[in-house]
Amino acid sequence: MVMNSKSTRNILLVTALAAVSVLSACGGGNDKNNNAGSSTNGGTTGSTDKEVTLRLFSNLPDRKSGQGLAEQMVIDNYIKANPNVKIDIETLAEEPFKNKLKAYMASNEALDVTMVHGGAELNTLVQAGYVKELDPKEYEGDTYKFLPGVYKSFTFNDKLYGLPRNSDYEVIYYNKKLFDDNGIKIPTTYAELLEAGKQFRAKGIEPMSMNGKDLWSFAAFFQDLVVRLTGDQNLMLDAVAKKKNFTGDENFTKAAELLAQARDTKLFQESFMTADYGASQNLFTQGRAAMWYMGSWEAGMATNDKLPEDFRNNVNVLKFPVVEGGKGKDTDLLAWNGGGYSLVSSSKHPEEAKKFFDYMMSADQWAKIVWDTGAAVPAQKYELSGKESELQKQLTEVLTGATSTAGSIALDSGTPKFKDDAQNAFGKFFAGGSTPEQLLADLQKAAETQ
Amino acid sequence: MQKVFNNKMAIFLFVFPGILLFALTFLVPIVLSAYYSFRDTLSPGTPSAFIGFANYTELLFHDSRFWLALRNAVLLGLGFILIQHPIAIFFAIMLDRLGGKAEKWFRTIFFIPCVISVVVISKMWLSLLDPTFGAFNKMLDSLGLGMLKHAWLGDSSTALISMLFILIWAGFGWGLLFYYAGLKGIPDDLYEAASLDGASGFRLHWRITVPLLSPVITVQITLAMITALKQMETVFLTTNGGPGDSTQFLAVYLYNKAFSASQYGYANAISILFIIVCLLATYLSNKLTRSDATEF
Repeated sequence: MVMNSKSTRNILLVTALAAVSVLSACGGGNDKNNNAGSSTNGGTTGSTDKEVTLRLFSNLPDRKSGQGLAEQMVIDNYIKANPNVKIDIETLAEEPFKNKLKAYMASNEALDVTMVHGGAELNTLVQAGYVKELDPKEYEGDTYKFLPGVYKSFTFNDKLYGLPRNSDYEVIYYNKKLFDDNGIKIPTTYAELLEAGKQFRAKGIEPMSMNGKDLWSFAAFFQDLVVRLTGDQNLMLDAVAKKKNFTGDENFTKAAELLAQARDTKLFQESFMTADYGASQNLFTQGRAAMWYMGSWEAGMATNDKLPEDFRNNVNVLKFPVVEGGKGKDTDLLAWNGGGYSLVSSSKHPEEAKKFFDYMMSADQWAKIVWDTGAAVPAQKYELSGKESELQKQLTEVLTGATSTAGSIALDSGTPKFKDDAQNAFGKFFAGGSTPEQLLADLQKAAETQ
Repeated sequence: MQKVFNNKMAIFLFVFPGILLFALTFLVPIVLSAYYSFRDTLSPGTPSAFIGFANYTELLFHDSRFWLALRNAVLLGLGFILIQHPIAIFFAIMLDRLGGKAEKWFRTIFFIPCVISVVVISKMWLSLLDPTFGAFNKMLDSLGLGMLKHAWLGDSSTALISMLFILIWAGFGWGLLFYYAGLKGIPDDLYEAASLDGASGFRLHWRITVPLLSPVITVQITLAMITALKQMETVFLTTNGGPGDSTQFLAVYLYNKAFSASQYGYANAISILFIIVCLLATYLSNKLTRSDATEF
C-alpha cells in the first residue's frame, strides 16, 4: 500500500514536471515567434508581408498539361515573387466543378478567386452577390492588352464581374488524310459540307463527330448557320433578349431548315445523341470521324502525344462553310469568351486576392503562358513565338482574319433556364421529333419564359 | 435493468440522438424543401420572392415534361412488375430445383449485376448498344438480323425501351434473390402432397408457389414502384433524360431543373410532388395487393 502510493506520487510528479516543461517550451517558442514577427513587421511596410493563404477554385484538375499546367505556372510565378503568399488550389472536373461552385455560392464559402463560366452561369453568381464587381478602367492598357469586346459575357447590367481567360470560337477540325484518301473535296459551302457527309457515309466513315448528349453544340451550330445566312452577329442574341422573334422570321426559318438537312442527311455520327464530349472527341481523334465541330480550346490536340501520330499530323482547321445565297462571309466568326476568373465577395483577404488576380490576368502571365504552351487561345493580345504547331497557326489565322465576332454564344446570353429549355428544344429536334417550325416555336417560348 | 427503462430521462437519452439525427437529415430538409418550393429562388441563400403555388400550378398544368417523366416512371414500374418479376420467379424456381453446387454457381452469376457499380453498368450498356461499334448490333448482324440494327439509346423511338431493358436487367438479381429466399421458406411436403394429388408442372406452381409467395410479392411490388419512381443514376449516366425527353425520369428532371437550369424553387416543388407520388404509390400498391397471409 505504501509502496503503491509512493509510486503513484512519483508518477504524478514526473507527469507534472513534464507538463510544465512542455508548457514552458511552448511559451518560449511562442515568444520567439512573436519577436521575430514583430521585428519583421517593424522593418517593412505595413501588413503586406503577413502570411496569407489564398483559396483558388478552378475547373482544371490536370496540373501537368494543357491549361491546368498554365494555371499552375502562373501560381508558381506569383508565389516566387510573393513568398508570403500561399495559394490553396482546389480543382474539379467541369461538371463537379459547376455543382460545387453553386454549393459554395449557397453557403457563401470564403473563396478568394474562382474560375467562372461567362454568360448564364456567371449570371447566377452575380444575382446571388457572390462575385465582386470590377472596374474595367483598371484593366485597360498595356499591362493587360485585352482584345476589344471580350467582356461581353462577363458584363451584366453594364457592370463587369470577371475577366475572360480565353478566346473561344467554333471551328470544324478535320482529318486531312481521310479527305485525301477518299478523294473528297474539303467543303467551303454548306452544300459541299452535306455532300462530303454523304460521301463519307457511303464509305462507312462517320462524317462529323458531335457531342449530342451535351446539346450545346447544336445551338452553336444553329447560331453559325444564322450568321452565315444573314451576316448579322446580333440577330440570334437579340432574339434571346426578346428584341426579335424566332418565329415568323424567314432567316431563322431558313436556318432551321438547313439544320434539318444536317439531321436528315446524317451528317453527324450514328450515335451522336448519346455521345458526350469525350466520346465525340475519341471518335475524331481515333480517325473514325472525318470532322469534329468544336471550339478553339482544343488547339492542344496537335501536340498531345497521347493521340495517334497519324492523327496529329493530319488534324486541320476549317472555317464554318458559307451558305449559298447567304449574306454572311466565312470570316464572320462565332467567337466568345467563355471561361474566366472572378473575385469572390466573401474573400477573407480581399486586397491580397485582388493583387493575385491582377497578376494572373496581366498579359505576360496567363495569356502568354497559355499561348506559348499551346494550351488555348487567350483573350489578350499575344505575339507569335515561332514555336506554334501548325494547328495553332491555323487557329490564329481564323481569329485574326475574322471580320466580325459574336461576343457571346446565344445559349449563354440568356438565363440558365433559357439555356436548359433551348437545349431541350434542340434535343427534341435532333432526336427526330420536331419540325423546323416547332424548333423555332420552342426557342421562342424558351426566350419568353426565361 | 428494469429500473433504467422505467426512468424517463434514460429513455429520452437513448432515443434523443436517433430522433435528432432523423430530424436533421430527414425532416428538416423536407420542411426546407417545402419552404423553397413556394419561392422563385435560384439556389438556397440567394434573394428570392414568395410566389405561392405558382411553381405547383406550372408543374401540374403546364409542364408536359413533368408528366412525361411520371409516365416513364410508371411504365418502368409496370415493366418491373409484369416483366422482371415473373422472370425472376421462374428463375428462382429453376434455381431452387437445381440444387447442389450448380445452384450456388448460378445464384452468384445471377446476382453479379447487382454488385457492379451503376457507373460501370451504364458505361457498359452505352458501349454494348452503340450503333457503330456496339456488340449488340454486331450480334444482330451475325444472326442475319441486320435490318433490326438501331441507335438504341440515341433514337427517341427505341431509347425508352432500351432504358427499361437495362434497368430491368440490372435489378433482376435483387428480385431473384427475394423470391428465391421466399421459395426456400415453402415446406417441401406441400409439393409432395400436391403431386400425390396429381398436380404437376405449371399448375403446381400456380396453385402452391404463387399464393405462398404472396407476402414477398406484395413487398416486391411496393419496392418496384418506389425503385421506378426514384430512378436516377443509370438514366443520368447514359442518356441524361434524352434524346429529347424520351427517357426523362422524375429524379433526373428534378436534378436538371435545380442544378442546370438554376430553378431551385421549381425543383423543390418537383421534389415535394415526388414525395407525394411516392407515398401514394406505396399506399396504393399495399392496398391493392394486400391479402391475408397464407398459413401453412
